[in-house]
Amino acid sequence: MPAAVATVGLTKAFGDVVAVDGVSFEVEEGSVFGFLGPNGAGKTTTLRMIYGVLRPDSGDAVVMGRSVTRDPRGVREVIGVMPEDTGLYPRLTAEENLIYFGKLRGMEESELRERVRDLLTRLSLWEKRFTLADRLSKGMRAKLTFARAVLHEPPVLLLDEPTSGVDVMSAREIRGMMREHAEAGKTVVLSTHNMWEVQKLCEAVAVINRGKVVYRGGVEDLERLTGLREFEEIFVRLVRGEITA
Amino acid sequence: MRLWGRIGSGEVKVTRGLGLAGYGIPKAAPVVVAWKEITEALRDRRTIINTIVLPVVLIPLAMAIPILMVSPKTTPPVVELVLLDDGGAAGRLASAISDQGGMSLVVRTGRVNTSAEILGGRADLVVVIPEGFTANLTSGLTASVDYYYDPFSMKSSTAISMVSAAVSRVEEEIVSERLRPLNLSLDYVHPLVEREFQVTSTGREVSPEVVVGSMMLPMMVGVIAITGAGTFALDMIAGERERKTIEALLTAPVGRLSILAGKYLAMTFFSLLAGLSTIMASILGLILMAEEFSAGLQVTGGVGPSGIGQAAAAAAAARLIPEGVNPALVLAGVVVAMILAGLTGNAVIVMTSSFAKTFKEAQQYLGATMGVLVLPMVAVPYLPPPMMGPLRLAPVTSIAMLVRDLLVDPGNVAALVESFASSVIYLMLLLIVSAKLFGRESVIFG
Repeated sequence: MPAAVATVGLTKAFGDVVAVDGVSFEVEEGSVFGFLGPNGAGKTTTLRMIYGVLRPDSGDAVVMGRSVTRDPRGVREVIGVMPEDTGLYPRLTAEENLIYFGKLRGMEESELRERVRDLLTRLSLWEKRFTLADRLSKGMRAKLTFARAVLHEPPVLLLDEPTSGVDVMSAREIRGMMREHAEAGKTVVLSTHNMWEVQKLCEAVAVINRGKVVYRGGVEDLERLTGLREFEEIFVRLVRGEITA
Repeated sequence: MRLWGRIGSGEVKVTRGLGLAGYGIPKAAPVVVAWKEITEALRDRRTIINTIVLPVVLIPLAMAIPILMVSPKTTPPVVELVLLDDGGAAGRLASAISDQGGMSLVVRTGRVNTSAEILGGRADLVVVIPEGFTANLTSGLTASVDYYYDPFSMKSSTAISMVSAAVSRVEEEIVSERLRPLNLSLDYVHPLVEREFQVTSTGREVSPEVVVGSMMLPMMVGVIAITGAGTFALDMIAGERERKTIEALLTAPVGRLSILAGKYLAMTFFSLLAGLSTIMASILGLILMAEEFSAGLQVTGGVGPSGIGQAAAAAAAARLIPEGVNPALVLAGVVVAMILAGLTGNAVIVMTSSFAKTFKEAQQYLGATMGVLVLPMVAVPYLPPPMMGPLRLAPVTSIAMLVRDLLVDPGNVAALVESFASSVIYLMLLLIVSAKLFGRESVIFG
């Protein structure tokens, strides 16, 4: 299976601080890939380099065969992004937030209408379609942000903590759609602190600590290797350097 | 199309109209971005009220209310005429003052406490015709007419103008009567006649209205267009960063220049809206002032203290366009200048916002920047003619000069081209720098 996302030696420094230091990993097409690490480890910076809002100091990321350093716009065409902050426009309605991004992605009017209706209905937001985004609950905002990421049915989804601080019902809906996305042969790169979510959804993970990848491989491999069943325990030991793989 | 509505729970709902409008707009990225920016800005009620609605309502009121307060048509001044002389000349003057009209006249024949009358608010002006008035005039001497008034009251000034007009007429009649036995006319005592000849580059005479217009309009166009969209522009740049919406926006496959172009489209829309609405409101205010003053001037016979004269000249600015100049040309020129001024101001706002992490910080930078931008425009009407040429090449001021040239010397194509070209060149430079700054990593992520 070819790699949907491949990073090679991605490096980024802010002044004297090296936030990401030679990060390399591959994500198999049609899989859900967990990108894990403690706060400040460099997860968000790495994702930002992959979706092209930060330029790497060195290295590259290739998404569906398109290089982010040579063809950043080409990469943005094949990805859907849910950034750390929702980035919803507070004075646009739920529906208008989707229309805006659908139009920016060049979606045809009829296709956009149908997709907006479908997504808002499936995420239980149809009744709230005329509500301004800043009047929505946190869970609703998270679902709307997810809808915006999958609106144009991208082959690759990059999700930065999509269920962080979200209520159980909303998180469950988002996870359900993530799974559906992968089952449809599309790729999901998921950054999360929720280890239960990793065990439930991810086939493979990369763990990053202090800007460097400390583990990359299958979730089941890691369980077998460590003999541990609790993924949280495995994660903690990886970050502490008690396990090397 | 309703912008706002409420449902029972108190939750704000927005009409389907805007949502559907979003579906229908073309897919060109700058148009999409402009649609979104305008939609969001129109929902920011506080900014709309402060920037558009309040000026439209307050400017005409601010201009008209003081005039209405002193206008003899709406509130005639109270004049107390104190006759301490019962001779014929005194009676003649009293009749002339009474015939003048436009005032509420109270005639008294005994002494009054003038200070108490004025400070007590019972009279705006006390006119005293003292004892011996008739005797002095009959003897060929001078006689005084004494005015007691409040120097801080515009109504007192108006009353003096009215009474003074009547006194001047009576004085002229007395002089004529004195000269008649000597076979002399009034020319004998008015040997000098002042004549004025205007020298303009067009060779055409201009009215005071045009003079006032050429002073006010360039400044208004520039200042309003530059500052009018300031809050909207700040929100579109610094606000987008502060609310952290820019990151998601930049993940769309759209060039940063297209996004910026859309924002400029929306900013220019608001610059024009602010500029045109304020100018229309000012013209409305001027018309109200002109109406009141024409009434006042009719009453006073065109003679008035300096404060009234200035206001009357301002009132005449309602007729700004010089004779022989195509109004459509002036209007088109004003709109072009507003677009130039709006874009220039907005480019500067984009640049200054790029150095601010928050909306508040951007606002602080903007205050200083706007002062620098607006100052040369305010100075344009007061600078001597030799400086007009260089001003056409100065940043920002060139836009005010473009409007001034349109009004003062519309036939001078070279001057118009010069100020237009320099304005466009400065604008291009500012747009290039603002585009370089917009979307930089350090700008987006601080």
